[in-house]
Amino acid sequence: MDTGRGRAKGVVKGAGNKGGGQRMFYASVGALLVAGIATLSFMSTRSGASQIDSTIKPIPNTGHSIGSDSALVEVVEFGDFECPACGSFANLTEPDIRARLVATGQIRFRFVDFPLNIHRNTWPAHLASWCAGEQGRFWEMHDALFMNQDRWSEPATRRPERVISELARGVGVGMEQYDACMDTQKYRPQIQANVEEGIRLGVGSTPTFIFGQTRVGAVLNYDQFKRYADSLIADAKAKRGTKTRTR
Amino acid sequence: MTLRRLTALVALVGVFVALYLALYKAGVIGTLACGTGGCETVQLSKWANLAGIPVAVWGVGYYLAVFVVALAGTTERWGRAAKLPLLLLVLTGWGVLFSAWLTYLELFVINAICRYCVVSAVLAVIVFVLALLDWRAQREALDRQDSVASY
Repeated sequence: MDTGRGRAKGVVKGAGNKGGGQRMFYASVGALLVAGIATLSFMSTRSGASQIDSTIKPIPNTGHSIGSDSALVEVVEFGDFECPACGSFANLTEPDIRARLVATGQIRFRFVDFPLNIHRNTWPAHLASWCAGEQGRFWEMHDALFMNQDRWSEPATRRPERVISELARGVGVGMEQYDACMDTQKYRPQIQANVEEGIRLGVGSTPTFIFGQTRVGAVLNYDQFKRYADSLIADAKAKRGTKTRTR
Repeated sequence: MTLRRLTALVALVGVFVALYLALYKAGVIGTLACGTGGCETVQLSKWANLAGIPVAVWGVGYYLAVFVVALAGTTERWGRAAKLPLLLLVLTGWGVLFSAWLTYLELFVINAICRYCVVSAVLAVIVFVLALLDWRAQREALDRQDSVASY
């Protein structure tokens, strides 16, 4: 007697029940599929943008800016040198922004420090960027820090200072003045003030971009960045138009 | 059967959670930013890939496998397969062990917790418990059959 087969048959009694239970089950699977796909596509369209309370007036004249003083608008990035997302923005998107929006005089771009406490090695990097800035090398240092993030950030080392000072030397910073600047942590209060300014503007993650009163907490690609910048430029032009007319 | 249906449904939720993480890792979905809950730290760490494939993609494959096996277990054709509960048990047991290792890495090596990874780990435990109950139910039914047969 084929007991094995018999046993198996007995065990799963009700298996393949094509009745209400199984239909209900298939309906649940279908509903879950629809809900899952809908949720994922909704999430893919979320931009991370929100409006800053209109009573809070951006923007601090702090950090470091690049671009023409006569540019109509300024876009601010709150960034953390050890943040991989900021690194990806700096290395992949920012070159396009500088060439197509900053160099053409459409926008001015400002980097404001927002070192996050989840990153252990980020403070020396921020201090170094200011010490390089003291010698007119902020943007060179900014680019070198982001380009070499994997060499001095936490998984790579617990002592980032040596790698960072090599980078400073590499971008042509005078080392005597740099070392003195780093030793005294000269710009710590300034960086701390920038963090507080960011918190005041509702910055909670990096990179966060401030386009006028619009705050966007996400890595943007060039097209997304340009859309926000364009709408800011259009607003600024409209405002200037009204002012001229009322004069 | 109810157990296998539940297993299939929970695994399907797992497919979507892992799919979200895989799409996030690929940059298609979500906002890539630091300081929003640890997913970026975990996802950008060197532990986020296994054998050159993102862990999240392994997760999608794992939950899909559990879903397919559990779904088959609810059908007329495959529901009677005697080895099916054991297959589910081994599969989900492996999933729990892998999730435990990933959670250990998050807590003690990467020092960051990703919410969606935690959800995935919880789902892995749930499908394992369901598979265990299904397997035990089969064992008990077999024992009953044996004792009936011995009369």
